[in-house]
Formats: sequence, structure tokens, C-alpha cells
Amino acid sequence: MSGELYACVHAAEFPAQALLRLRTDLQSRPVAVLDGPVSQETICSLNRHAVRRGAALGMTRLEAEGLSGLQLLHRATEIETAAHAVFLECAAKFSPRIEGVSEGIASALALDIAGTELLFGLPEKLSARLRDEMATAGFRVSVAVSANFHVARMKATAAHGITIIPDGEEAQSLEKLPIAALNLTDEYKETFALWGIRTLGELAALPEVELVKRLGAAARDWRALAHGVAQHTFQPIEPEFALKEFYNFETPVEQMESLLFIGARMIDCLVARAAGRALSLASLTVEMELEGGRVHCLAIRPAVPSVDRKFLLKLLQMEIGAHPPQAAVVSLTLTAEAGQSSKVQLGLFAPQTPEPSRLDVTLARLKAIVGEDRVGTPVLEDTHRPGSFRMEGFVVGAKFSALKTERSRMALRRVRPSRPVRVVMHAMKPVAFSDVGTRFEVEAAYGPWKTSGCWWSLDGWDTEEWDILAANNNGEKFGCLLVLDLRRNEWWLEAFYD
Amino acid sequence: MPSAAALRLEIERTLGHRFPGALTPAPKTIREVAPTGIASVDSLLEGGLPVGAISEVIGPESSGRTSLTLAFLAKRTEAEQVCAWVDAGDAFDPESAAASGVRLKQLLWVRCRSERDVTKAKPWTRLDQALHATDLLLQAGGFAAIVLDLGGMEPEHAMRIPLATWFRFRQAADRTRCSLVVLGKTAYAQSGAEVVLESAPFRPETVGGTVWCGCIFALRRQRQRFTQFSAGGRKPPASTWSAGAAWEPGRSA
Repeated sequence: MSGELYACVHAAEFPAQALLRLRTDLQSRPVAVLDGPVSQETICSLNRHAVRRGAALGMTRLEAEGLSGLQLLHRATEIETAAHAVFLECAAKFSPRIEGVSEGIASALALDIAGTELLFGLPEKLSARLRDEMATAGFRVSVAVSANFHVARMKATAAHGITIIPDGEEAQSLEKLPIAALNLTDEYKETFALWGIRTLGELAALPEVELVKRLGAAARDWRALAHGVAQHTFQPIEPEFALKEFYNFETPVEQMESLLFIGARMIDCLVARAAGRALSLASLTVEMELEGGRVHCLAIRPAVPSVDRKFLLKLLQMEIGAHPPQAAVVSLTLTAEAGQSSKVQLGLFAPQTPEPSRLDVTLARLKAIVGEDRVGTPVLEDTHRPGSFRMEGFVVGAKFSALKTERSRMALRRVRPSRPVRVVMHAMKPVAFSDVGTRFEVEAAYGPWKTSGCWWSLDGWDTEEWDILAANNNGEKFGCLLVLDLRRNEWWLEAFYD
Repeated sequence: MPSAAALRLEIERTLGHRFPGALTPAPKTIREVAPTGIASVDSLLEGGLPVGAISEVIGPESSGRTSLTLAFLAKRTEAEQVCAWVDAGDAFDPESAAASGVRLKQLLWVRCRSERDVTKAKPWTRLDQALHATDLLLQAGGFAAIVLDLGGMEPEHAMRIPLATWFRFRQAADRTRCSLVVLGKTAYAQSGAEVVLESAPFRPETVGGTVWCGCIFALRRQRQRFTQFSAGGRKPPASTWSAGAAWEPGRSA
């Protein structure tokens, strides 16, 4: 045993796989991906269902449309880039040393798995877990494990499923692979075809010196590859951890259900990736590219980072419901910010408070009913202007001191918006007023209490407040607050005492 | 020598035909209550407003309904609990609440929109919005008290709330240990309410006849479940309490 051990994971037909991993509804149907200029589109990738229907690489759109039931999609490089990031991240869960070995339209990675037995078990077990992890992320892959880098790479490309190559049997495992596995130029392929050499086993049987004399120094490397003894200097890449998912719709989408169908799958993937690093999703940014080129952005910030996909999906639904896009959606991008999983110290004697994640959904629902700016915590403004406050988001756990009162206080019930009233004055005091056609007699008037401020600006105020005890025609008494706006000389009913 | 238990059984058996369970005290359910912070009101309610039930505070304008409810919320938020105010008429005054000692950061205020402002997608009335919001908050759980403020609403509208809604609220309040306080001009929850307090018009307190410095309110307990009233048509228990003006001294930070 050399001490080296490599696992190569190979995802064939990557353009098709990248598109289908978010479209679970299409995974069991024949799908082909078209690429190229509009008039010269050809099939560049397809799934196995499409192969069974007779589709093949290089078919033109016209030929492909002739096959019944074949779903045609357009190649999307952005989706492939996002999918490749996910592919790389899944592999990074098994080894920190990864090298990219992609060829053509396939995506492949080689993992240095030497010394991982204690963590993941024998190579068979690791391979199975690696394949399952990839399947969870939406990729169908083949895996090959060998002590030789190139053997693992070539075997993963050629074989399906999981292949474990025992140490010392590398050449034997490669002998039936076609000579094309060496990525030769057309000239050398033709030469080998003339010689009747079709497999790596036949190439390995040729004498080295005679071969080098005829084809040059490169032939030594090919022969070493065919023998499974070629050396390789590992060049690891650093996978970038970015929680981002992108999907480009085939046709612009208007219905929310369709958006959520894709959104749910995207959230699933983001949650799985974050959970793989023991992280949660602290925020989600949704970018929708609309028809006409505009971009509609939404942000979701749960009270505590979460990996509960149902909860996040509900928040996404509420947010899109509250702020629907103004045009059909062309593409959808979900970017998440990772956060530490929430840890809450519970206590037997702690007062009951709403569960943060449940409260988030409740607040979103309340906002959908009464309006975005009408749910929250009132905060008094730092001003003497009567009745001034602002609304802030409601957060559980905020602790602030408050005034402790020894005696309960009379409360006001505000009239919003204030109602204009007509007031009858006598001896500089109100004696009666009319509100919405009803006349009230003033039994006692206390005031005036003058307030003014911000005289230097347009929104200044200069008022006289009167505490009024009044009675209507039925003899029902009540207390209210009347305000005289001295700037406009208008009377307003501001509030009732209660 | 017979034991005390055997002796008690013997006496009860002998007197059983005249006084069933003569020496066995009647089982008493202890109902959890939360104080309002007003001594005379707590005395009237035998401890305070019930927890996990509906309480109604009813009366006309200026009868002290809102002041009493804010005093109750002040006590609840002082105990670091979270409360909500569902404001059907958008009449809540944060300054009054702060002056009453309510910790505003622990209060969720839901301001229902007027019929003019509702969207075409959800053309709900204020009452619909308030009931829906209360339902959501009760289901969410974790709120020590929820105030459903129907104080400015005419009784002919609020009386249309089906009894089934109140029973559903009662069930939810019981499950989440929440005190649901309903402010209104008259009683709406009927048998769904555990306590109904009727506030009466007030008598003002003045200083030298020129400054209005407080009020004295009358309060009558109209209904309290699980409380045995003695026969004979006695009047419901009543009390008075007073509230000072917001600016009145006598507060400490």
C-alpha cells in the first residue's frame, strides 16, 4: 500500500443535471438541453430517459422536436456555476483536499481521502456516503476509489455506480477501457486504430522502448497511464462557501405557486448545505429578475437563525405575498447568510414568551392583514409634540426599565385622525362644541395648556389644550381633550379620557 | 383506640342522610389570577383578572376601562412578560401606556386599518381584522395578556361576533395560559367570559377647581364563573378606584 488513496466523483451530463436538480417534476421525464446560436441549436446534454426515447448528442432542435414527449431546455451557464459550487461543497464534506478534473460537459472532482478511514470508514462505506450526499443535493454520480489518481479518474468516467479498485489491480481494472480514455489527439487515435489498438489493456501490452521510438516521449506517459502507475502532483482547490442558488425559468412565471415550488427546493439545498457545516440561515435575500429587466428584491430575516425549511418557506411565501413582483419573473436567486444555530437557555422560572420562529410567522401574517407599518412596538419620540411616536419591529427579549407608578393613571383614547369640531366660547372658555352634527354642552373646562415647538420649521406646532367635561342631550357625560391650533385657528377633538 | 380517620368516617356515615360529607371539605379549584395592581379592584376580583380565560371590561366612554386595562398590562410587563394590544379602533395612546407604567418594548401593538385603507385583496372590516389578529396571537402562544380593544366600536357591530368565536378564543387562551381582556361598550362574550367588569361613569378630582388631576371610577363585578353567590338577590359586588393624571407627581423611575 502506497499510502495514497483517491476517490473520484463524476457527474455526467452536468448541464442537464444542473437544470434538473431544482426541477423535481422533470426528473422522471425525458429532457434534453440545447446549446448554441438560436438558429443552430443542438443537443449538448440529455438524461437517460431522453436516450431511451432516441435522443442523442448533436441532434438539432428540429430533430429533437420530432421525438414525442421530449422536454427541451436551454442551457444556462449561471445555473451550472451555482450547481458546480454545490457539487464542490458536497465533496468538501469528505475531504479538504480536492482537485477539479472536469472534462467536456461532465463535472468531476478527485478527493484525496488518505487517512479518512477513522472518520468515514472503509472506502466502500465512504463511496456510498459520498454518492448519497450527492444524490441529496440532486446529482447522479459515479464514484471510483483507487490508490492511483489517474486510475480513479478514468474509472469514474467510464464506469457507473461505485467502483473500488484494490491496490495492485489498477492495470487489470483499466484493461477494458477504450483508448479514448487517454484524451489523445485525432492523429494518435488514428495511428492506434491502424495498429488495431482499441483498449488500454492492448496499449499496456506494447513494448515501451518500441512505442517511444515510434510515437515520442508522450507515449511513455500513455503507457504508464494504461498500466495504472502514472504519477500525479495533486493541486488542491479551495471551495468557496457561498450559500447561493439560482434558477432561470424557461418561460416567465407569474404565479406564486410556481415560484414557491422552485423556492422550496432552493431552500432545501441551502438548509442542507448550511446544516452540513453546523450553521443555520440567518437571512435570505431573494432576487427576482422581472420581464423588462427590472429586479425585485426581498429580504427575510428570522428572529433567530434557523434550519427549519417549512418555517423559512412560510416566511418566503408571506414575504412574496406582501410584496408581489409587478411583472412575470424570469429568474430567481436566493442568497443566504449563514449564522450560528440558536441556543436558548430555558428555565423553569423564566416568564413565558412567544417562540421566536413562530412569532416571526405570526407577525408576517399580521402584517399581511393590517399592513406592514401597523404592527410592532410603539416607541415614544424624544419631543414635546403631543401624541408623537413611531413604530418599530417587535423583538422578544428586549428588556428596558419603565416608570413605576404608585397610582394608576388616566388613559387617553386617541381619535385618529383628529376630528375638526366647532366650539362656542364664552368668557374665553369653551361652553359647547359640535362634533359630527351632535352638540355637546361643556360642564367644566380646564385649561388652556399651551404647548409649542419647532417654530423654526414647517412642521412646528403652537396649540392650546383643554380638558373638557361634557355631556350630550341624553345626559351621558364624558371627558375629552380639545385642542386649538393657534396657527390655523382651528379646533380639533384629539382624544377621550377613559 | 380508633384513628381520627375512622372516627370521621363513622360520624359522616351516621349523619350522611342529613349532611352528606359533613366533615369533608368541599373540593375547591384554585383559579390562577394575575393582579391588576389596583388594590380595590384586586380585592373585588379576589386576586386579579383570571389567567387562561376571557375577561370583559365594559362601560361607556370615560368610565376608566382603558386605564384599568393599562394598569393590568403594567403589572404583567413589569414581570417581564409579553403582552399584545389588538386595536380595532386605532385608539391606543402610547404616551398614556408609558405613563401607566407599561413597558412598551414588551407590548405588541396591532393597529387595524380603517375601511378606507383596506386593499382590494383583503377588504376586511376593522372588526374582521381585530378578530383575525387575536386568533393568530392566541394560537401563537407566549403572550401573557392580549387586549382586544373594541371600546370605540358600536355594540350593534360587535354583537355580531358569533358565540363560537368566543368559545374558540376561550379554549386557546386556556391552552396558552393567556389573559384575554376584551374592552367594549357592552358584554359580547356572554358565557364565554369568566369575568365581566362593568365600569361606571366617573367623578373628576380637581385642584382648586382649575386643574383636572384625576378621576374616581366605579366598578361592578357583573359575572364571575366558579364563584358562588348567596341566594337572596343581592346586588353584584362593587368597588371604586381612582386614577391620577399622567403628569401628576408620585412616580419613580
